[in-house]
Amino acid sequence: MSPPRALAAAALAALALAPWVAARYQLSLLTDLLIYGLFALSLDLIMGYTGMVSFGHAAYFGLGAYASALVLIHFGPPVPVALLAGALLAGAVALPIGWFSTRATGIYFAMLTLAFAQLLYTVAYKWRDLTGGSDGIAGVPKTELFWGGPSLASSRAFYFLVAACVVGSLVICRAIVRSPFGRALQAIRENERRFTSLGRDPRPFKLVVFVIAAVFAGLAGALFAPFRGFASPEVMFWVFSGQGLMMVLMGGIGTLVGPILGAMVFILIQEVLSSYTEHWMIFTGAVFVLMVIFLPGGLVGTARRLRARA
Amino acid sequence: MLEQLLNALTLAGLLFLVSAGLSLVFGILRVVNFAHGVFYMLGAYLGFTTVALTGAFWPALVAVPLVVGTLGALIESSTLRFIYRRPPLYQLLLTFGLALILEEGIRILYGPTAKGIDPPAYLEGAIRLGSLPYPRYRLFVVALGLVVAAAVWLFLRKTRAGLVIRAVAQNSEMADCLGADVARVRTLVFGAACALAGLGGVAAAPMTTAYLGMGIGVIVDAFVVVVIGGLGSIGGSMAGSLIVGAAQTWGAFYLPETAMVIMYAVMGAILIFRPWGLFGEPE
Amino acid sequence: MRRRDFLTMAAVGGVGAGLGAPAFLRRAAAATPIKIGMPAALSGGYAQYGIQAKRAAELFTKDITAKGGVLGRPVEFLYEDTAGDPAAAVRKAQKLVEKDGVKFLTGIALSSEALAVSAKCPEWKVIFMSTINGAGSLTAKAWNRYFFRVNTSGPMGARAISLYLAEGPMKRFFALGSDYSWGRDSVASFTTQITAAKKEIVGTDFPPVGTKDFASYIAKIRQSRADGVYLALPGQDATIYLKQAHQFGLNQEVKPIMEILELENMKAVGDAMVGAIGSSRYPFTVDTPRNRDFVKRFHAMHGLYPDMFDGETYEGLEWLAQVIQKAGTDDVEKVIDTWEDSGYEGLEGPFFMRKCDHQAVQLGFAVEAVKDPKYPHPVPKILATYPGEKVTPKCRSEDFS
Repeated sequence: MSPPRALAAAALAALALAPWVAARYQLSLLTDLLIYGLFALSLDLIMGYTGMVSFGHAAYFGLGAYASALVLIHFGPPVPVALLAGALLAGAVALPIGWFSTRATGIYFAMLTLAFAQLLYTVAYKWRDLTGGSDGIAGVPKTELFWGGPSLASSRAFYFLVAACVVGSLVICRAIVRSPFGRALQAIRENERRFTSLGRDPRPFKLVVFVIAAVFAGLAGALFAPFRGFASPEVMFWVFSGQGLMMVLMGGIGTLVGPILGAMVFILIQEVLSSYTEHWMIFTGAVFVLMVIFLPGGLVGTARRLRARA
Repeated sequence: MLEQLLNALTLAGLLFLVSAGLSLVFGILRVVNFAHGVFYMLGAYLGFTTVALTGAFWPALVAVPLVVGTLGALIESSTLRFIYRRPPLYQLLLTFGLALILEEGIRILYGPTAKGIDPPAYLEGAIRLGSLPYPRYRLFVVALGLVVAAAVWLFLRKTRAGLVIRAVAQNSEMADCLGADVARVRTLVFGAACALAGLGGVAAAPMTTAYLGMGIGVIVDAFVVVVIGGLGSIGGSMAGSLIVGAAQTWGAFYLPETAMVIMYAVMGAILIFRPWGLFGEPE
Repeated sequence: MRRRDFLTMAAVGGVGAGLGAPAFLRRAAAATPIKIGMPAALSGGYAQYGIQAKRAAELFTKDITAKGGVLGRPVEFLYEDTAGDPAAAVRKAQKLVEKDGVKFLTGIALSSEALAVSAKCPEWKVIFMSTINGAGSLTAKAWNRYFFRVNTSGPMGARAISLYLAEGPMKRFFALGSDYSWGRDSVASFTTQITAAKKEIVGTDFPPVGTKDFASYIAKIRQSRADGVYLALPGQDATIYLKQAHQFGLNQEVKPIMEILELENMKAVGDAMVGAIGSSRYPFTVDTPRNRDFVKRFHAMHGLYPDMFDGETYEGLEWLAQVIQKAGTDDVEKVIDTWEDSGYEGLEGPFFMRKCDHQAVQLGFAVEAVKDPKYPHPVPKILATYPGEKVTPKCRSEDFS
C-alpha cells in the first residue's frame, strides 16, 4: 500500500475507533474540529482549485446554522432533514450572490464577497423575530437519525454523524476536482485569460463551484447548530471567513484534506494556548505569519513536496 | 444644515487619512493591507502616550506618524518583501496575520480600558455658528484632512519622488529597468501609508478615545471608501471619503438603521459594474 | 486519566469499605477542591467585563482560603478565555464541565454567550450563576432550573432609573439605544415605564453597535429639546457618546441618563461626564461597613476601585459559597434546592433568591457621576435606593406590575 493510502486508512481507522479510545471531552473536541474542518474543506474548493479568495464564506456556514436551528426548534425532525435544509438554504442564497460576484475577479471579487457577507450579517443581526438578533437562537435540540431511528443525543452518536458527513464530503469533493469539471477549474486558476482565449467562458464554472462550496459550508453550519445548541450572528462575521482562509493555508491550499487538518491545528493551537495565556492571539498570529512566509504549502503541501524530493 | 455639512467633512477628513494609505498601498504594492486599521489604532494609543509624556497635543501630531510609519516600513521590509512574487492571496493573508499580532500587542501594552485624550486647550470648547455651538476640534480635523490631502496630491503630482512612485504603480518592471529602486519605493510607500493611518488615529483619539477594536471598526469603512473612489487613486480616496462621510452623516440622521446596508449595496454595485471605482483605472 | 484515578479509588474504596473507611481516605476526600469554571471574555472587545469577574474571583479566593475553604475544601477557579464569542464560550464551558469536572459556571460576560451556555446546562447538569448578564429573557423565556442570576438584570436597571425619573422634574426624554437586543429591550422597557409615569418620549434612535461618530444623533437630540437622553449603549459606544456630547456642549442642555453607569466609562471619559445620572448594579460607594471593608481590600489587591461586575461577581461567589456550606455538599441538585428561597447579606444590601425564576431580588440604585478629590476619576454618588420588591419584575417575565 502506498504511503498516502496507508495514511488514509490509518486516519479512517482512528476516526472509527475514537469514541472508544478518547475521553468524553476529547470526543466533543474532535467533533468540533471536524465541523470546522468541513468548513475549511468547502473553502478550499473555491480557494485552492479555482483561485477565488472569498471573504464571505462564513455567511454560508451561518445560513446553514440558522436554517438547521430553526427547523430543529420549530419542527423537530430528524437531524438529516435539518442538514438538508441548511445545505439547501446556503446553496440557494449563494446562487444570486455568486452570479453577481463572479462578474468580478481577483481583489474585486474578494471585496464583493465581503460586502455581501456584511449585508447578510446585518440582516441576521437585525431580524430579531426570525434570528433572535444579537442573542441568536439557543436551545437547538439534537433529535434522531431518522424517524423512529436512534437518538443522536449522545456525544458518540453525534460524533459518528459528523464524521460520516465530513468523510463523505471529502470523497465527493475529491471526485469533483478529479473530474473534467475540476480540471477546468484548475485551468481557470492557473491562467484565466488563456482559458477565455481558448473560447471557454469561466463564469458558469466559477458560479457552479461557488454554489457547491456554499452547500458544503452550509452543511457544516447545519451540523454546528445542534452540536453546540445555538446559532448566532458571530458565525457569519467576516473575521470568521478570514479564519477559514487561515485554516486552509495552514493545512495546504488545494489539497482538500489539508484544510481539514489545518482547521484542526488552528483550533487546537488556540485551545491549548488560551489555557496558558490570555495573549494566545499573538502566538497564533506569529505562527501563521511564519507559515505564510516559510511554509506556503501548508502542512500537507509541504509534506508532499518533501516526499516528492525524497 | 451647516452643522451636518461640517459633521460630514469631519468624518470625511478622518476617513481620508485612513483610506488614502490603503489606496496607495494597493495601487503601488498591489496588496490589500488588512492590518491598516491596526496602524490607525496604534496611532491613537501612541498619541495618548505622547500626550501623557509631554503634556501637549502638537508633538503627537508630528511624532506619532513618524513612529508608526517607521514601524510599518520595518514590517514591510522584514515580511512582505519576501512574498511579492507569490499570488496576491499570500500577501493578503500575511497582513491578516500581522493585524492579529499587532492588535494583541497593543492590548498587552495598554490593557483593555479605553484611553482618553483631551484636545489641546485652544482647540477645546465650541465656536458659535449661528445659534449652535460647534466643537473647535472638529473644525481642526476638517482643516487637517484638507491640508494632508493637498500635500499628498501635490507630492505625487509635482515632485520627482512622486513621479517615481507613480511610475512604479503603473509598471513596476519597467520602472525597475529605468533605474528606480522598486524595493525601496515599496517600503517607503508602505511606511508612508502607515504614517497616514497613524495620523488619522491621533486625530480621531480626542473624539473617540483610543480603544481596542478601533482597527476592525474602521477597516471596513476604509474598504468602502477605496472601492468607491478607486483602488490606487488619491483623488478617488478624497471623493470616496466625502461620499461615505456624507452618507454616514445624513444616513445617521434620517435612516440610522439602514445607512450601513445602503453603503454595502453601493459598494457592491460599484464592484459589479465599475470595479475600478470612480477615479481608478481599469486594469 | 480520570478513569484511572477512579478505578484506583474504587479499588481502595472497596478495601477501605471492608475495613471501615480508614482515615486517609476521608482526608483525601476533604482535600478535593470545589471547582468553579469561568469561561470569561478575557480578550477582545468585551475583555473589561471578563477581567472584572476574574479580579473578583481572585480576591474571593484569598478571602475564602483565609476562612478555611468551603466545607473544609479549598475553592479552585478555572479560567478560560472566550474572547466574547458564543461558540468559544460553549466550547470552553463544555471543556470545563467534561474535562475538568466543574459543577459551577460563572463569569460569562455577554448575553449571547450566556444564552448559549445556559441552554446546555440541563444537559450537563451544572449550575450557571450569572453575575454580569442582563438579558431579561435569561429568567423569562429562556429560563431553566440550573440558571441562577445574582446580578441586577437589564429590566431591573431600567426600572430603578425610571422610578427615579418619575419623581423628578424632567419631562421630555430622548431614547438612544444601540441597535441590538439589549439596546432595543432597554429602550422599550424605559419607554413603557416612563410613559406610565406621565412623561414624554420625544424621539428614539438606534445607532448601529460600534458607532464612532454620534454627531448626527447629537444634532437630533438637541433639536428635540429633550430634558434628558436615555442611553442604552454598550461600554465603548457610551464612552464615545459622552465625550462627543461634551464637546458639542450638549451634556449641559440634555442630561445623559444611562442604564449602566460604570467606572469603565468614568475612567475613559473623565470629568466630561460629571453630572450624568443612571442606574448602577453595584456602586462601590455604598456606605455599609461590609462594603467599605471590601473596597479597601479590593483596592489593596488590585490597585483600583471595584466596578459594577467586580462587586456583583464577588457577591455571587460569596453567596454560592454560603449555599454550598449550608447544603453540606456540592451536589448540584441539593445546592439548587438549598439556594431557592434563601437570603444573603451582600455588600450593597440584602438579597433574596426567588424560587420561581432564580432571580436575586436586590436593591436598585440610581446614581450620579460626581467629582470627588479622594479618587482619580469621577465616582458614582447614590441618589436613591429602591427596595428589591419595587425593582424586580414579575416572575419569569420582563414586565412590572
